[in-house]
Amino acid sequence: MLLAGIPIAALTVAVPLVNRIEPRLFGVPFLLCWIMGWIVVTPAFLWTIGRLERRW
Amino acid sequence: MIAPPTTALAIVVIVVFGTIAFALLATRRIKMDPQQYIVGGRSFGTIFLWVLLAGEIYTTFTFLGIAGLSYSQGAPAFYILAYGGCAYVIGYFFAPAAWRVGKERGLLTGADFYETCYNSRALGVAVAVLHFVMVVPYVALQLSGLQILLRIAGYGAYNATAAVSIAFIILALFVFSAGLRGTAWASVVKDVFVLGAVVFAGIAIPLRFFGSPAAMFDRIVQAHPHMLTLPLGGAFHGTAWYVSTVLLSAIGFYMGPHTWNATYAARSDGTLRRNAMLLPLYQVFMIFMIFAGFAAALIQPGLKGTAVDQSFLRVVAQYYPSWILGLIAGAGALAALVPASALLLAAAGVITKNVAGDLFGIATSDASRTLLTRVLVLIVALLALGLWLAAQRTVVELLLLYYNGITQFAPGAFAAFLWRRVTALAVAAGIAAGLVVAIPLAAANVNPWGINPGFLALLANVAVLTIVTLKGAALRTAP
Repeated sequence: MLLAGIPIAALTVAVPLVNRIEPRLFGVPFLLCWIMGWIVVTPAFLWTIGRLERRW
Repeated sequence: MIAPPTTALAIVVIVVFGTIAFALLATRRIKMDPQQYIVGGRSFGTIFLWVLLAGEIYTTFTFLGIAGLSYSQGAPAFYILAYGGCAYVIGYFFAPAAWRVGKERGLLTGADFYETCYNSRALGVAVAVLHFVMVVPYVALQLSGLQILLRIAGYGAYNATAAVSIAFIILALFVFSAGLRGTAWASVVKDVFVLGAVVFAGIAIPLRFFGSPAAMFDRIVQAHPHMLTLPLGGAFHGTAWYVSTVLLSAIGFYMGPHTWNATYAARSDGTLRRNAMLLPLYQVFMIFMIFAGFAAALIQPGLKGTAVDQSFLRVVAQYYPSWILGLIAGAGALAALVPASALLLAAAGVITKNVAGDLFGIATSDASRTLLTRVLVLIVALLALGLWLAAQRTVVELLLLYYNGITQFAPGAFAAFLWRRVTALAVAAGIAAGLVVAIPLAAANVNPWGINPGFLALLANVAVLTIVTLKGAALRTAP
């Protein structure tokens, strides 16, 4: 459950902290990179949760 | 030489009819009972369900709206990317649990879930009626999107209202015959077209006008740096708005009556889990619409009001050949019609099952229930069309009712798994409190402290639900 909270927190309450243009990756502003990055890794989080749940 | 409007519109027509024909062919051998018609026989695998859910979620207003919001305001549009990620994390836990209840008790609609979990027919009927009331304007909204697309594809030369009415009646007939499985097959085709259109818009347009997407962002950093970050704190569409809107949309995500149908349509709980894991990847494509919106802001600045939703289509219409416009408008038309068909089915389903069947005892046999659902699909379609023709301007305000309203069903749905003492009365009181707070604020378009009013309503909802539950428990234990 804690693990599931991480992507949600990163995409909501952490956003005011990363609300900036620089540094840009491949020209894309940092805020947009941050959001995209977390969306791409969310499946990895859910997969890990699934593995952990099965072990318990 | 054929005139450009004819070419573009002809392509739209071919795309739409081709999709419908394909879906009808794919479903022609299937015998319809209510389980099959409304929840696809509970047999959809991971990928098929992925396509259906994605098909229901990415509507014409995602298609036009993301670009429009990026065009007019910039960074606030990023919320559309973010809430999907959060929603699927919630769905990963919620959807499989809801599916198990649905499977055990043979549930067909979202309203059934409340009725079963809280053992209250009154609550089930109330939820059914509210679902219905919220879906009709949402369908009508898809028609507004369709009208924008057809008007631009026709270069203003044809009567778009008549075209929308015809397209929609054909759609209703399609749902009448094909049910949820047909909608899912139509989603498959729709996704191919929409992805093509979206990648074109996000990559080809920046390449042609700026050399690369990175160069496009360089231009925006110079010209409009404020568009790339959120305004601070409680400002209009500021960070407070962003955080509350992402949470609200994520919580409400699985609450739509059509999303309930899709959840029940899964083959197993594991299917839904894998599905929630894969759905965030679909969000990635939405970034291209943000690129398209930014590109349009540089190429064709100065659009105001509702015209911003047309920004990137106008760029396509002005600078590209008509067949490209036709393909993109065709993709957009599918993005309007496929979700509309899922919504029609959901609205007809709740009325047949929860109001006609459970409350009045009409149409309880399988055959008559399928028939009634089919007839209601047509009636709901006509109602939505009527509402749209009568009140085209206010439909956008009704969308606020849908988004803010549908989330108010979430506390009751989650509490069914988290807190056993919650009663039907508490859930109903919570929903009522949420709606009482949300509707006036949304109608007046007020964001107190920059926070989305639906989110405040949700807090009121949870507070009332908690108080009524605790009070009720205290009354029962008192001598």
